[in-house]
Amino acid sequence: MLLSSILLKTIWDQRKTFLWWAAGVSALNALNVFLYPSVADVPDLDAIFESMPEAISRLFLGNIESLTSPEGYLNGQNFVVIQPLIFLVFAIGRGSGAIAGEEERGTLDLLLSYPIRRSRVVLEKFAAMVAATLALGAVSWLSMAIPALAVDMDISLLRLAEIHISCVLLGLVFGTVALGLGCATGSRGMSLGVASALAVAAYFVNALAPLAESLESAQKLSPFYLYIGADPLSNGLDPAHAGALLGIVAVFIALGLALFDRRDLN
Amino acid sequence: MTSSVIRTEGLTKFYGKHRGLVDLTFEVEAGQVVGYLGPNGSGKTTTIRLLLDFIRPTSGRAEVFGLDARTDSLEIRSKVGFLPGELTAYDGMTGWEILTYYSNLRGGVDWRYAESLADRLELDLTRKIRNLSKGNKQKVGLVQAFMARPELLILDEPTGGLDPLMQQEFYRLVLDAKEEGQTVFLSSHVMTEVEKVADRVGIIREGRLVLDEDVATLKARALRQLEIHFGEPVSLDDFQGIAGVREMSVEGNELKCTVAGSVDELVKAAARFEVLNISSQEPDLEDIFLDYYRESEDVA
Repeated sequence: MLLSSILLKTIWDQRKTFLWWAAGVSALNALNVFLYPSVADVPDLDAIFESMPEAISRLFLGNIESLTSPEGYLNGQNFVVIQPLIFLVFAIGRGSGAIAGEEERGTLDLLLSYPIRRSRVVLEKFAAMVAATLALGAVSWLSMAIPALAVDMDISLLRLAEIHISCVLLGLVFGTVALGLGCATGSRGMSLGVASALAVAAYFVNALAPLAESLESAQKLSPFYLYIGADPLSNGLDPAHAGALLGIVAVFIALGLALFDRRDLN
Repeated sequence: MTSSVIRTEGLTKFYGKHRGLVDLTFEVEAGQVVGYLGPNGSGKTTTIRLLLDFIRPTSGRAEVFGLDARTDSLEIRSKVGFLPGELTAYDGMTGWEILTYYSNLRGGVDWRYAESLADRLELDLTRKIRNLSKGNKQKVGLVQAFMARPELLILDEPTGGLDPLMQQEFYRLVLDAKEEGQTVFLSSHVMTEVEKVADRVGIIREGRLVLDEDVATLKARALRQLEIHFGEPVSLDDFQGIAGVREMSVEGNELKCTVAGSVDELVKAAARFEVLNISSQEPDLEDIFLDYYRESEDVA
């Protein structure tokens, strides 16, 4: 059953790594949420936060108002840096391994000697990456939502789900960049490196834009801005931003399909 | 129309400036077993990868089953079983799992047949690929290629890693496939292996096809060693001027020589005397192949 398609086989192959990721993310999330009541009780924390230079707070805590409100706390602790990092590393790993991984291991030739279109391989690998990233999003949401209920954190579980969807989309953007690069070149290391570098660049463009006028116009194009600029945890998912992230995914998957179909396998 | 299963016309592949294959025009007829011989790096694998649309020709074209290898690849591949030169399969899966996966990608195969293939090759399908020796991995690849009884088998260096007994079993598999009407295109760098199963041989050297011949014709043309024992002493003079005879020596009642092509004239000349015994060795085609090897070394 699990070996009935490339999609299911890919998911099955990655089950063990997925469980480790899920365990790590859950532990981290639960720890952060359980610490919240004690942090919220520190009266001076917001004063410290306000006294920080804006450059520093922007870079590491994002555009948040307070460190002690539930939204402020979770944004600062999780959603500005840690969660995006987790979803980026996870999705870029899957994306770069999807085509280029099989190609470098030497299993792609035999796979494509079967009556399967190259585009089908790409789309099933893409679907596996989407499914796994969504599943990690669900795990991350649950492992925050359950402790939040336990410690009576005043947070909307719907909004929490919305920021997670945004986070999954951010991961998928760069995962798809990595997948597309792998399709185009067959090099896993290259697609992994370039996609990661682009993600880091996108992070800094968004984080530093308020401080550097020259970056202001570029900020709106940064997937990091589209991910968190509208503060989905407080305001819900911005349809235009989410749509733009989906659009980037669609562009790169289309590019990957076209380029993979044209080139020689290695 | 012709019954060609594979037909290439001026098929050429360059990797940048690097030569892969140059101007290959070649045909494989239905039901034939064709050996494709050449030293490593001569262009055998390039040819195979062009046929399966893994890579695209720089110029020229290839047809399989009369279909364009480039545009109709999907339909072609539905009728082809392929064994890659270096089999790398998913390490963590068992033989069963791999065969199940590949069978599903084809829409199912006859499992009893797949099992019988594994039995013939003495392959344990319950073991994980990473725990298999090179030869056993090769067997997984062979079962995979044969299990759907494809119309065309494309096998790249099929006996790599197989022990001599299993090589024999492989030759029987190929001959059985031929009996069933399947066409087999196999690459190799060992003439003796090709000689055992192939109807035709193509030799490729530095990307160019340098010989394309029926094995029977090749054998007829090849040098064979002959020893004739006579009932009486003979002399060299009795056998002068016979076409194709070389390195003749006579010692008492015994004549030894090497003959290229037909032995007819020599046998008729010998028949003037009492002949006790004629012994002849099978022509060694390896020599023919090695001649091409050596030439290629001279050029390089």
